[in-house]
Amino acid sequence: MKVLTFGWDFPPSRNGGLGVACYGLTRELTQNGVEVIFVLPKRQDVVGNARFVFADQARNVSVREVSSFLQPYHQAESQVHYIESFDIEGRPVIKSRTIIEEVHRFAHQAALIAKEETFDIIHAHDWTSYLAGVAAKLASGKPLILHVHATSYDQAASQNVDPGIFKIECEGFAAADKIVTVSQFTKNIIVNKHGVPANKVEVVHNGCDTTEPTRYEPSLSALKSQNKKIVLYHGRITIQKGVDYFIKAARRVVDIDPDVVFVISGWGDMTNQIINQVGEMGLSKHVIFAGALWEEERDRMYQSADLVVMPSVSEPFGLVPLEAMQHGTPSLISRQSGAAEVLTHVLKVDFWDIDQMANKILSALRYPVMREQMVKEGKRELQKMSWHDAATKVFRLYRNLLQYLTS
Amino acid sequence: MLSVCPYFHVHQPYRIKQYRVFDIGNDNEYFNDSSETDLNNRRIVEKVANKSYRPTNKILQELLDNHPDFKFALSFSGTVLDQFEAYAPDVLESFQKLIASGRVEVLADTYHHSLAFFYSVPEFERQVLKHKKRVQELFGVTPRVFRNTELSYRNDLAKWCEDNGYIGIMAEGWDKYLGWRSPNFLYQPPGCNKIKVLLKNYKLSDDVAFRFGNQGWESWPLSAETYTDWIHSHHGGAETINLFMDYETFGEHQWEDTGIFNFLRTLPHLLTARADTTFRTPTETVQSYNTVGEIDVPDILTWADTDRDLTAWTGNDIQRDAIKAIYDMEPKVLQTKNKDLIEIWRKLQTSDHFYYMCTKWSEDGDVHAYFSPYQSPYDAYIAFMNALSDLQLRVSHSLTQQEERAKERALKKEKLAATLEEVPPATVTPTAVEPTLHALLSTWVSGLKKRFRSLLDFFHKK
Repeated sequence: MKVLTFGWDFPPSRNGGLGVACYGLTRELTQNGVEVIFVLPKRQDVVGNARFVFADQARNVSVREVSSFLQPYHQAESQVHYIESFDIEGRPVIKSRTIIEEVHRFAHQAALIAKEETFDIIHAHDWTSYLAGVAAKLASGKPLILHVHATSYDQAASQNVDPGIFKIECEGFAAADKIVTVSQFTKNIIVNKHGVPANKVEVVHNGCDTTEPTRYEPSLSALKSQNKKIVLYHGRITIQKGVDYFIKAARRVVDIDPDVVFVISGWGDMTNQIINQVGEMGLSKHVIFAGALWEEERDRMYQSADLVVMPSVSEPFGLVPLEAMQHGTPSLISRQSGAAEVLTHVLKVDFWDIDQMANKILSALRYPVMREQMVKEGKRELQKMSWHDAATKVFRLYRNLLQYLTS
Repeated sequence: MLSVCPYFHVHQPYRIKQYRVFDIGNDNEYFNDSSETDLNNRRIVEKVANKSYRPTNKILQELLDNHPDFKFALSFSGTVLDQFEAYAPDVLESFQKLIASGRVEVLADTYHHSLAFFYSVPEFERQVLKHKKRVQELFGVTPRVFRNTELSYRNDLAKWCEDNGYIGIMAEGWDKYLGWRSPNFLYQPPGCNKIKVLLKNYKLSDDVAFRFGNQGWESWPLSAETYTDWIHSHHGGAETINLFMDYETFGEHQWEDTGIFNFLRTLPHLLTARADTTFRTPTETVQSYNTVGEIDVPDILTWADTDRDLTAWTGNDIQRDAIKAIYDMEPKVLQTKNKDLIEIWRKLQTSDHFYYMCTKWSEDGDVHAYFSPYQSPYDAYIAFMNALSDLQLRVSHSLTQQEERAKERALKKEKLAATLEEVPPATVTPTAVEPTLHALLSTWVSGLKKRFRSLLDFFHKK
């Protein structure tokens, strides 16, 4: 079985959940004898044993200079340059016309690649590749699976949904033969918001790599030596991620326990707003902005924290609590996340419930036995969430689709 | 003769509301949730009263009225009796009426549905005594047969019961301890010579309690006729069929639409249609049969899940932490002699709190397989530990007050002693007394003079 896969980024580039998921799934599929041709929009370093095709170099297409907007999570980072107006609450209205141009270019190249390659099935990851998937389907007549890692509703936290992205999603979902979502949470969104028939959508939860990570010397040892407790937020600072709710909860926490320090690791279009919020709420002494941490620095921070919080307003899956668990740190996560569907040994809260968020942060810090148990049992739970299982489900989907189409 | 010994356990805990860290030191109420959730104790009692207690008691009353042979036993936790009194007094009255028939036995239990026996025998004894008094006061009977929380049992518990005058005790008829032997006879615990153990026939009990409404079960739907056949088939090879289950099986665990009420309504008549089959209360059962052998249970045996041990309550770290924290408080709480604090401490001992913290099933992803009013075992632990922290504050506050009062008393005593020293006792020689008395008198007189002078000054100014 040969699969033509479209994706937007791939490890080892510094990226979030999307690249990690593409890597995990591709690795397991190829190990199970599936041949994967992985098409990326531009040349980059890659790992793994799929065959990679880079759309900007493969053929007689003029090679573009690498656009700065092609960085991972460009949608969020580029919006600063593309504010068209502001909504009533003063938030910028996100326009992504330029990325959409890139997406169309990718689709054009995808059609050419689809004519050159032989394959049985098309699998396109994330909205940036949907049009590429559709183009490849039109060019080859092969069945198409779209893999939904996020939706326009998540990115915008349901406010000011980008109409351009929404249109691409709707067209893609209509043209797809099957749609995979990374959670029931995301399935509900595309069924309710995009009007996709529920029976066209399969939920395949993301997996998790369970290799024991390297232990590092703790960061923030000065704080630790003063018996400060560290609560970490790790992720982009955007409206989708609910950092503003996290800061409000921090205020409640510090009122009770002034020995708590909140570390924010990440960057995004809301950074200035959050820095201002921290100042206004008199939290400057208690909140540290660490910038975007990656690799060893990120891992050290995970290991140093007493608790990790993922307060997302809308999170299709959410790798953060899984990564934190691997590093031995328990999490408090938003119920509005896919991860909340599969994780038992985490604390959960509705992102808007500041009071309970603060209560659970304080409780987790008060009761070390609970933190230890969440990690101990949580790690056992992670063992069962392998990419192998996710790949098996995807493989079954390929097979069913092919059988259905050839019979 | 084959006798059937049904016993229904009636219990509701005081569930702890979502007690937050901010509430510690500010809110003394832990059990007064008033939301629309299952943490609202009043709401639960009212709901279960309508679904189970009222309709079931009506049927049981009819059965007692129409079948002179029908008998059974009930066990109540004190916490359910208190809640009936507060939220559904008519339900309590209907139980009183059932028991007044003289054919419904009430069993001994711990007041607070606790696992105290395994953590503190003195505390266990206090709870059993409190339960006994409550049963006597409400129902006018004195229990003679003992059943412990969650049917938990061990050799030393049987011994305790024998030493304290109970004639029978109930336990799970579990294969691990029975081996090839049948649960349908009475057994003797090792080291005891009077008390008899009644063993639950878990197959026939759980057919009703757990499987009755399960459409995937091979025997579904179970008719009272079939069930009667199953029981009658034991004739010749059994003496007593002990059917032990939660009272809430009727209408709450098995909903009315499963046909459970009709099942209950018709069963006694069908069972006693055979002349050599009868109902017996636990006391009558104990008095009717001799033991056939010894049952040796050195480790804790319960009626819970396939493990039949305490792991549903003490299987993980947070459960063990919480249960240790509550029993560690014992000496200090008792030292306060404060009835309210002691009662709250006991309400926190109710086994349900620890059951809600169970993570045994969640590993199978089957988090909803057990009944809990909390969204997660960790939420249950947080509410419990926060409430416990508040109670600890109140206890230490009460003890500080006690100490201060004691100090004050000691100080007063000292002062008194000091004054007495200034006025030496009469045994000393009069010569020694005179100057002291003189000194006292002169101070008094000079004080009077001062006051008189200031009074004079006052009038002069006028």
